[in-house]
Amino acid sequence: MRIRATSLVLLLAPAAPLCAAPPVEFNRDIRPILSDRCFYCHGPDEKKQKADLRLDIREAALAAEVIVPGKPDESELIYRITTHDEDDAMPPAKAKKPRLSPDEVALFRRWIEEGAEYQGHWAFQPLAATTVSKGRHPVDHFIDQRLAQEGIKASPKADRPILIRRAYLDLVGLLPTPQQVRTFVDDPRPDAYQQLVDELLASPHYGERWGRHWLDGARYADSDGYAPDGGRQMWPYRDWVINALNNDMPFDQFTIEQLAGDLLPSPTKSQLVATGFHRNTLINSEGGSDPEQFRVEAAIDRTNTTGAVWLGLTAGCAQCHTHKFDPLPHREYYEMFAFFNNGEDRNNRGASLDVTEGELFDNKPPTSNPPATPPAESQAPEQKLATGKVMIMRDLKEPRDTFILTRGDFTRPDKEAGELSPGVFSAVAPALPESPQPRTRLDLARWLVHPDNPLTARVTVNRIWMRYFGRGLVETEEDFGTQGSPPSHPLLLDALARSFIENGWSMKRLHRLIVTSETYQRSSTARPDLADTDPRNLLLAGQSRVRLDAEIVRDAALSASGLLSRQIGGPGVFPPQPEGIYAFTQNRKGWATSTGEQRNRRAMYTFFYRSAPYPLFGTFDAPDFQTTCTRRPRSNTPLQALTIANDPAFIEVAQGLAARVIEELPGDAAALRDSRIRHAFELALCRPPSPAELNVLTNYAATTAADFQSASDDAIALLDSRLKGSSSAHEAATLVAVARAILNTDNFITRE
Amino acid sequence: MNPFHLHDITRRHFFGRCGVGLGTIALNQMLAGSASAKHVPGIDPANPMAPRRPMLPAKAKNVIYLFMAGAPSQLELFEHKPKLNELNGKTPPKSLMDGRRFAFLKGNETLLGSARKFGRYGECGMDLSEMFPHHRKIVDEVTWLRGMTTDVFNHGPAKLFMNTGFQAPGRPSLGSWATYGLGSEANSLPGFVVLQSGPRGPRAGNSLWSSGFLPTSFQGVPFRGKGDPILHLQSPDGFTRERERNFYDAVAELNRARLAEVGDPEILTRINAYEMAFRMQSSAPELMDLSKESDETMELYGATRGEASFANNCLLARRLIERGSRFVQLYHTNWDSHGGPGETLDKDFDKVCKDVDQASAALVLDLKDRGLLDDTLVIWGGEFGRTPMGENRKTVGRDHHIDAFTMWMAGAGVKKGYIHGATDELGFGVVDGKVHVHDLHATIMHLLGFDHEQLTYRFQGREFRLTDVHGKVVKEILS
Repeated sequence: MRIRATSLVLLLAPAAPLCAAPPVEFNRDIRPILSDRCFYCHGPDEKKQKADLRLDIREAALAAEVIVPGKPDESELIYRITTHDEDDAMPPAKAKKPRLSPDEVALFRRWIEEGAEYQGHWAFQPLAATTVSKGRHPVDHFIDQRLAQEGIKASPKADRPILIRRAYLDLVGLLPTPQQVRTFVDDPRPDAYQQLVDELLASPHYGERWGRHWLDGARYADSDGYAPDGGRQMWPYRDWVINALNNDMPFDQFTIEQLAGDLLPSPTKSQLVATGFHRNTLINSEGGSDPEQFRVEAAIDRTNTTGAVWLGLTAGCAQCHTHKFDPLPHREYYEMFAFFNNGEDRNNRGASLDVTEGELFDNKPPTSNPPATPPAESQAPEQKLATGKVMIMRDLKEPRDTFILTRGDFTRPDKEAGELSPGVFSAVAPALPESPQPRTRLDLARWLVHPDNPLTARVTVNRIWMRYFGRGLVETEEDFGTQGSPPSHPLLLDALARSFIENGWSMKRLHRLIVTSETYQRSSTARPDLADTDPRNLLLAGQSRVRLDAEIVRDAALSASGLLSRQIGGPGVFPPQPEGIYAFTQNRKGWATSTGEQRNRRAMYTFFYRSAPYPLFGTFDAPDFQTTCTRRPRSNTPLQALTIANDPAFIEVAQGLAARVIEELPGDAAALRDSRIRHAFELALCRPPSPAELNVLTNYAATTAADFQSASDDAIALLDSRLKGSSSAHEAATLVAVARAILNTDNFITRE
Repeated sequence: MNPFHLHDITRRHFFGRCGVGLGTIALNQMLAGSASAKHVPGIDPANPMAPRRPMLPAKAKNVIYLFMAGAPSQLELFEHKPKLNELNGKTPPKSLMDGRRFAFLKGNETLLGSARKFGRYGECGMDLSEMFPHHRKIVDEVTWLRGMTTDVFNHGPAKLFMNTGFQAPGRPSLGSWATYGLGSEANSLPGFVVLQSGPRGPRAGNSLWSSGFLPTSFQGVPFRGKGDPILHLQSPDGFTRERERNFYDAVAELNRARLAEVGDPEILTRINAYEMAFRMQSSAPELMDLSKESDETMELYGATRGEASFANNCLLARRLIERGSRFVQLYHTNWDSHGGPGETLDKDFDKVCKDVDQASAALVLDLKDRGLLDDTLVIWGGEFGRTPMGENRKTVGRDHHIDAFTMWMAGAGVKKGYIHGATDELGFGVVDGKVHVHDLHATIMHLLGFDHEQLTYRFQGREFRLTDVHGKVVKEILS
């Protein structure tokens, strides 16, 4: 090869570095540039490869003499990225990618000088061994180390009232009572907080809170999807998830049972129900739909969902072509697809199982509220236990042939490329062991949770971390590929992943590890001093304020008002919803509004029609579960304001909160007004109001009370049956107004 | 795969320097020090939707984008191809297949002539099929873009691409960029409103009008086409307007008190959202009340009071623009004429044409009549086009085609009665006047008064813009 390095380049190249810079690291310094500017044409996608050159493989780049280790001036690459000759310049003008900056060129020079070592993509590398100074909490060790490097002081610990509300919302998705707050605030034990965390992890509501997160990934819904969108009975699978989490089923087993419970030797009923995970796919019951098409679509969805949930890979792109940037060849995608291509189910036909309500719970959870508060309305008579026909996975005895589907189209199997056997992504260790038998989903599941597979643990701990801090250590939690963002704290991520595996994949231990860190407990008050150095709080000097998930907005309101039903599990419920929700759906849906306690179940039990979800969910950013969702956005809109201010369901909550306050502080309404305001505030926000806040509320109450006194009809219109018995209608109505104002604060729907 | 991206962190980034009680610092000052920030609109975090001047003289103040979800067949509407009819049932010529990328087709399909009758209309001599009789009235009002191309062949990603310039979710949509740059004249209705009609919502859903990494103030607000445009506009019984004012004031004061304590700028957005909610309680019903629209206007659109339809939405779009909204986007489904049930190229196609033809034309005529067309840009089109080949299904249909399709634009700053671009005799590819999605975006931004390369937002360490690193303004179509 001719070397065209010009003398100009030689002159400009420093003979020796002026000061000892840290060595260039391929993954940190070089790969992002290659990925952005070069891989499109010189990367894994054979169809796009130009000049037969690959820069993603060291051997290939060296063989082509494009890179000569130790000799930047003999490396064609350096010439190409620096030359002004339009014919030779890389990236070429037609790629419409910016040329490399002088700094970037300098990095490449140094990297080649230092030997041009490659590293595999960070996410696919084995977990790093990490050490933590004795007695240090591993999370704080890595977070504080970095803060110290940057000269940043960590925020102080949050006040206990804030901390207990945070822990309750994060771990169980409910609010503590003022009594629970007081007990914690006054708890003198040095491990008061650890005790609190253990209590919450032992609560049966933990399984609901974290089960809901898991159900997002499982694209759980109560209807089939597509235009007809008929109802289905997948709730036993939801029960299974809640129960498994409450029992702290190890994540490896949790994975294996859901992906391949049916393939275990003599599977239990519970293990069969677990496979409902992949029966949450859409079904098209429209007349004339081709069952083969929807069978293949479901298998593709299962492949993509598995890739997203366990591997954090946007495998979906490889459905149609070799991934441009990630080492996921088209062929390997369909090898993974092959695991899911043998399902017996075809669109609306497949195996199912009858499950009775409560059957899947090892410890019978509470089925109704303790009778502490009298029922708001007459209770429905004791209902018979429901039975659900849950869909489960079952494979054909004779596996189907699998081919690459051209452009993902089921009518276009690429038979020239040959029949495929099930396989996993070769870029991720370990290799599947040789086997004389055709591999099954069970092999796939075991591979995912093999201790040598670094990706599953990284992805899983990152997602759990994300729920606690509003952002993952890897910000692109759904993309651990080369286009995703690298971890902000790589060693912490690996330490957590390693500890997760070493602790027997215990999710509760992982939760405990994270929430007992100082990092988690820090104040979320903004840090104007970090506006320049860390405006996005990537270094976690403090916590972040995070808006509650849609379901938790309702659950928190119900728990503040005392209306919440604590019943766990069972079929979906139908809380009241506004008219006209079905304007955009093909069929009007059955919505027999629930009565009594069933109106006030946790929002995760609200029957979920994919084509017309309960409006609160969409308004607060819940997805429609057409496909897996591993991260929800968080918007902040006038529609949310109108929902909490005016939705009759939230007015019921305001009334409930007012009634609760009156019951808990009985006596003369006018004299007790301020204490009742304070109590309502504490029930909702778990802290006493500041003087400024109390001032706003007492003024508002005074104006409103005077106003309602002279407009008693309006006051009475605001009262529910419980409040109507109250001695002073205008004072009761005033409390409803105050309760409504408190529920509408930003603080109420925010975990601080 | 994951439909969502990085919304949550961005607001903090955006308002990052806004510490305790610093609610009114304009962002342009904050970001002025950033060397590569090119045009960063001066945004008051306390009122992010305040109207702003564009960088350059602008032709368009407002945009109404009629999004034809599912991708209408240009070959049944705008592209008369006698040669295609002649070769109906034949294998496509190799010369046209070679080197062309196809979404789905592999070669066993045959060419499909159009069963629709075409005529040539207007001074510009535009071909229109019998399916769009009302469009004949506007042929000389609009610029026809016959050489549209896109990169993406599946609905969700292609809709995202058409809206955000990127095929995965997470980038800001056109309407978000527009309101980010310009704010809105409407102080009691959202600046960016989305209306939907047809049998179902568009694929990819609300990520199509997401603000991506821009602050959430700039995301589209979906309205329902009938009754209350949004849920829960009615105050609870017993709350008069005056009492509601007191309520909203109390909530705002509580929020300001918390803001002073914790300094989270998200609280400012919340305060704004509540103020807007209060105003919308009266402005939204007024918007939806079509009783003052004349019968002639109702007939022009084919709208019916109290009904939800594309026609009603077109009329609502005009009313929104009149009330100062910056960007109104209408989605109408279902144009996805593959030939399957509900998606046939005969009866189902007839229906969707009927849904859309009259009101699309009426909107242009009505805006013109009211002098609103001079500063309102109307855009009409789907996420891609449809193939010259038929699909092998039970009934006739066409597949997705990204290499040549038709859109139209009318109003502010674009030529009237001008046909831009042409395709080959079978409609496979563009032979002249190619307009890529990025070019369309660059042109829309130009009309709104922005150099698309300059209006940027810094996120994750780099400057982002609507057109990524692409896009050329289509100068030929500017008036």
